[in-house]
Amino acid sequence: MVHIDTAIAGIQLSNPMMLASGILDENGYTMLEILKKGAAAVVTKSIGTSERTGYKPPVVVPIQGGLLNAVGLANPGIDNFRDEMKIALSGNRPVFGSIFGATADEFLQLGLKMEEYGATAVELNLSCPHVAGYGTEVGSDPVLVEDIVNTLKSNLKIPVFAKLSPNVTDIVEIAKAAQKADALVLINTVRAMSIDIHARKAVLTNRYGGLSGQAIKNVGVRYVYEVSKETGKEIIGVGGIENAEDLIEYIMAGASAVQIGTALYTQGKDVFSRIAAGLVEFMESEGFNRISEMIGVAVE
Amino acid sequence: MIAKIISEVEKLGRNTVTIRFRWDQEVQPGQFLMVWLPRHSEIPISVSHTGPMKGITIRSYGETSAAMIGLREGDRIFFRGPYGRPFDTKPVRKLIVGGGSGMAGLLPLIDSDARGVVSARTSSDLLFADRFAEGHVTVVTDDGSSGIKGYAIDGLKSLPLDEFDMMYVCGPELMLKSILDYIVDKPIPAQFSLERIMKCGIGVCDSCSIDGKQLCTEGPTFTKEELLGMHEFGTARLTESGKRIQIGRH
Repeated sequence: MVHIDTAIAGIQLSNPMMLASGILDENGYTMLEILKKGAAAVVTKSIGTSERTGYKPPVVVPIQGGLLNAVGLANPGIDNFRDEMKIALSGNRPVFGSIFGATADEFLQLGLKMEEYGATAVELNLSCPHVAGYGTEVGSDPVLVEDIVNTLKSNLKIPVFAKLSPNVTDIVEIAKAAQKADALVLINTVRAMSIDIHARKAVLTNRYGGLSGQAIKNVGVRYVYEVSKETGKEIIGVGGIENAEDLIEYIMAGASAVQIGTALYTQGKDVFSRIAAGLVEFMESEGFNRISEMIGVAVE
Repeated sequence: MIAKIISEVEKLGRNTVTIRFRWDQEVQPGQFLMVWLPRHSEIPISVSHTGPMKGITIRSYGETSAAMIGLREGDRIFFRGPYGRPFDTKPVRKLIVGGGSGMAGLLPLIDSDARGVVSARTSSDLLFADRFAEGHVTVVTDDGSSGIKGYAIDGLKSLPLDEFDMMYVCGPELMLKSILDYIVDKPIPAQFSLERIMKCGIGVCDSCSIDGKQLCTEGPTFTKEELLGMHEFGTARLTESGKRIQIGRH
C-alpha cells in the first residue's frame, strides 16, 4: 500500500502538494476551491502592513515555458485579510500566511496577525524579485535575514518558513542565515524580462519581473539539492512542477513537500489530482511505500 | 502580444468607438481580449465583431480606455487572447438584455429574430439598440430620456418570457442580480456575462474570482443555475488591491 502523505515542520499534509504564494490566493473562496481540488495546503498571497494596488497591467505575460510576472505585491493590507483567512481555514486544511516587510519589526507585526487569524504557519517572502525595498532586497542581506527569522522564531508559536530567492550570488549563505526557520521554501521566481518587438518596449509595466514555470524547474531542483546537502534543512520545493515526475525530482533532491503555481495556468485546477495519481503509480512501480523513503535519495 | 493594424475606427457617440482590424482567428461571442496600450495599461475588452474583420467596442471610463478611443486607422493595436468561456449560441429564439457598454459583448448574438432590451443611464449612453430588427427592441433609460424610464428589468416585465429559448444578459452586476432574482422561478434559461476587476486574463491572479471560479477562464459567461449557487454574486468583490468590498446599490 502506497501512502502519499508527508509532513513539513511537524505539520501533516495529506499529499506533498500545496498552492504556491501569488497564484489564486487572494480571495478566501478561491483558496477553498483549490483545497477541494486536491491541494494539501495553500499559501496565501503575500500580505504587507498596508494596502497596495500593485503595478498597472500588464502584470503577467505568458511566455514559452511559463509566465513572467510583476504584480507588484498587490494586497489588501493585513487588517483587511482576516475574512479571507477565515474563509480559507473553513476548508479544515493547513493555510500558510505569506507575509512581506522591509524590517524585522514589520515582519513580526504581520506574523503575529497571521497567527491570530489562525494561520498554520507563516511563510516569509524574502524573495519577491520586482519591488524596491522588499523581497530580494531584504532577502539578499544575510544579516537582515537572520534578524527577521530569529525575531519571528522567538515570538511566534506557529512554524516559520523562509522563502528564498535564486537571484543571489550564494544561496547557501542566505540559507544558513535562515538556519532557525522551521523550513526553507526554494525557489521564488527568477528575475527576467520580455520585450514586445513591435511595440519596441518591455511588456510588463514594471519592465522587470519574475519568471516561473517549466523554464525554471531545473534551476529549482539544483537549489533544493544544494541547500539540502549543505544545510540538512527541511525544504519545500517550488518552481515549474507540472507533473508527477517533476515533483519526484524535487523530493529526491531533498524536498519534503512542494508548491504548485504556474501549472494552474498550463494544466488547470485538476493538476493536483493528476499529479497525485501519477505519484501513486510511480511509487507502486518503483517499490516506495512512503514519501519519506524518497526524500533526498539523490543527494550525495 | 499580437499586433494588428487598425483598418477602421467607427465613432458611436461622444465617448464610444468600435475599432476594426483583420484577424483570422476564430473568436466566439462572449469571449474577450486583453488589449494593451503601451505606456498606459492593459484592459479586458469584449469582442463585438467576431467575423474575420474583428471589432472591439470601447467606452471611455478610465485613463486607458480614454486613450484607446483616440486610436486612429493605421495605428497598431496590441492584444492577447481570445480568452474566456463563450456564450452557448445554439438556442434559436434569443432574448438579449444589455446594460450600458454591456451591449458590446452581446452584439454578435443579434440576428433578425432576436428580441432586445437595451438599457442605459441616459439616451446618449444607449449602445446598439439600432441593431435589432424593426419593433424588436425595448429601450429603457434611468432618467427616462429615451424609452421606458427605469432599469433593464422594467423593460423585461412586459415580455412573454416563455416564448424565448435563451436569455443573454450583460451589464453591471447589480442589474444582472436583479434579473436573476426576477427569472429565478420563471421557465426561461439564461446566460449572464459578468465583469469584475481583471488583471491577468489567464486564471492566475485571482482578482476577478467569484465563489472560487475565475471570470477570465471559467467565465465570464455563467448560466442561471451556476449563478444561483454563488453567494458572492451581486454581494461582494475584490478591489485592485484584493480588498473585499460590498457591491453598492445603484
